[in-house]
Amino acid sequence: MLFQFALRNVLAHGKRSVVTILLGTISTALLVFSSAWMDGSHQQMIKNAVEIYPGYIQITGAEFRQSPSFEHLLFDVDKIQAEVIDIAGVALFTPRFEAFVLFSVGDKTVGGMLTGINPEKERRVSRLCAALKDGEYLENNDNNQLYIGNELARRLQVKVGDELVFIGTGADYSFAADRLIVKGIFQTGLFEFDAGSAFLAKSYFDRIMASKNLATHGIVLPENLNRSAQLAGVIGRRIGPKYQVADWQQTMAGLVKSMQLDSCFGYITLAIIFIVIFFVVMIYTLLAVFARLKEIGIMRAIGTTPRQVFAILLWESSILGFISVWVGGLIGAAFAWYFCIHPLVFSGMEEQFKQYGLAASAIPSAFEPLTIGRDMAVMFLLLLLSTLYPIIKVNRYQPIEALHHV
Amino acid sequence: MTPVMTEFLQIRQISKLYQPDKEVEVPALDNINLSIEKGEFVVISGPSGSGKTTLLNIIGGLDLPTEGQIILDGKLLTGLAERELAGIRRDHIGFVFQAYNLLPVLTARENIEYVMKLQGRSREKCRARSLMVAEKLGIASLLDKLPHQLSGGQQQRVAVARAVAPTPKLVLADEPTANLDSKSAAALIDMMEKLNREEGVTIIFSSHDPLVIAKARRSVVLKDGKLVTDICE
Ligand SMILES: Nc1ncnc2c1ncn2[C@@H]1O[C@H](COP(=O)(O)OP(=O)(O)OP(=O)(O)O)[C@@H](O)[C@H]1O
Ligand SMILES: [Mg+2]
Repeated sequence: MLFQFALRNVLAHGKRSVVTILLGTISTALLVFSSAWMDGSHQQMIKNAVEIYPGYIQITGAEFRQSPSFEHLLFDVDKIQAEVIDIAGVALFTPRFEAFVLFSVGDKTVGGMLTGINPEKERRVSRLCAALKDGEYLENNDNNQLYIGNELARRLQVKVGDELVFIGTGADYSFAADRLIVKGIFQTGLFEFDAGSAFLAKSYFDRIMASKNLATHGIVLPENLNRSAQLAGVIGRRIGPKYQVADWQQTMAGLVKSMQLDSCFGYITLAIIFIVIFFVVMIYTLLAVFARLKEIGIMRAIGTTPRQVFAILLWESSILGFISVWVGGLIGAAFAWYFCIHPLVFSGMEEQFKQYGLAASAIPSAFEPLTIGRDMAVMFLLLLLSTLYPIIKVNRYQPIEALHHV
Repeated sequence: MTPVMTEFLQIRQISKLYQPDKEVEVPALDNINLSIEKGEFVVISGPSGSGKTTLLNIIGGLDLPTEGQIILDGKLLTGLAERELAGIRRDHIGFVFQAYNLLPVLTARENIEYVMKLQGRSREKCRARSLMVAEKLGIASLLDKLPHQLSGGQQQRVAVARAVAPTPKLVLADEPTANLDSKSAAALIDMMEKLNREEGVTIIFSSHDPLVIAKARRSVVLKDGKLVTDICE
């Protein structure tokens, strides 16, 4: 009965109801979409950062991450590969061998990382190939052909086809040096990476660095990217404690942290917006409820208890809140879904984006029903809470005072 | 031991002092004593400002006396919490206000049934009762209209129906005819008298219209907050 009466009031005070619903709807849509957008851009940034080079799952020797020396290498790549590839959920395994070397051209010498990779497999686990800027990407049976970061190339002042030398230490601690020819230049947008990395086909690299069947780490591409952590666990148990298996959340802990921090600031901004919305709704409700004070006085005078008046008004807020949250939630979700499928493209901004390590200019929003549901619930509570004070306030009136209110 | 016969409504030494400012004191009621039996049809009259509204509000538990007690059917109302008073108003007292005070969002029928529904009566019982009372008051054809679609006299009849329908022990009507022309005023009082006779409900109303006052069986006159006359036919 109280509910029915509340519904009547909502319908009868059409204009007020519409304004309240509009406020609630806009706020909900805003919350749902902005958190979807925030999550989406963070996921995209992480995806970019992970996919440019580090990969979703890394396998290293047990102590390699603490002390990255040649004593803690993967010593039997073929065996590990055979084991790992067998595990359900693993799409690909590829070894890498990273070595610190000096590159030099004429009188210029620059330190950097020379890495032996399997060019064909690398195409699938990283974006090295896609980051090609000039010349050509590597092939499996390439010889002394070098794929070099554009910043490093600039420092050495080399172009495609130019020659340079490197000096380093082989896996057996022997002295290693060779003459290399620039085959391609890449730009990932990660400045540090572009300024310090160069790649050789691992078959050739192994010959000069004495690293056959050895690797500093291996990269695993999971079939389902979202299950990297679980898969890393499975691999770790399979290949044993001689090795360490880390998923991207561990290898990229810094980035993950900074994204969380960014989310945190995002939510603080949202919170401030919502405090404003809270007060707007509250003041509006206060006005609306006081405009009906006489009506409430009548209800009280003819025997409605304060608790029943409270219930009626709370039902009204709930009805309005419920409608707002669903309409707003669906609108917000529709936007989130649309921009999830059709990522927003910031055309002409590729260059700026690259400076921030974003190799793409398209940012999709996240579409996660659970998050949307959470946002809707939060909004519903907020809307109810914001009407609580006006309801309590109006209920404090004695019936006779309320009746005489005009 | 024989049970003590108590009067239906006892108004004992009621005084009301309004204090709109610290400096100003308005004695609206001054030591009113009055007993009313079940089934009486009483008018409270007196000039404007004599305290009629104040007295009715205090009897109905809408306002608190500064001093004195109200005892309704053996129950002391004075000093009860608002929650309990609301329950008593709902179950035992019907109000008719000078300004009708119908709930604007509800139809005439819904207004009449509102209190009965609060009491938890079934939909069918509410329906039957509202129709019966509406027929007695000649508003059966208006039941689906909203208050703003009704004339003043019609609204006041709906208000009377709302007060009477839940079968209260006592109906309090504060100048129910003040906004009506003399013909509708007389008609309304006749209807109230009929309800009083047929349903046995005790009715106390206030008025300063001599024609209306003449229809009551007992007349109480207030002047400057004091009870000056109490005449029974
Ligand atoms: N809320 C209030 N604050 C201060 N004084 C009040 C208040 N309500 C009533 N009074 C005063 O109490 C006295 C009695 O008022 P009341 O309304 O009971 O008179 P009444 O007999 O109903 O008059 P009327 O015939 O004009 O309706 C008046 O002097 C009035 O000014
Ligand atoms: Mg009055």
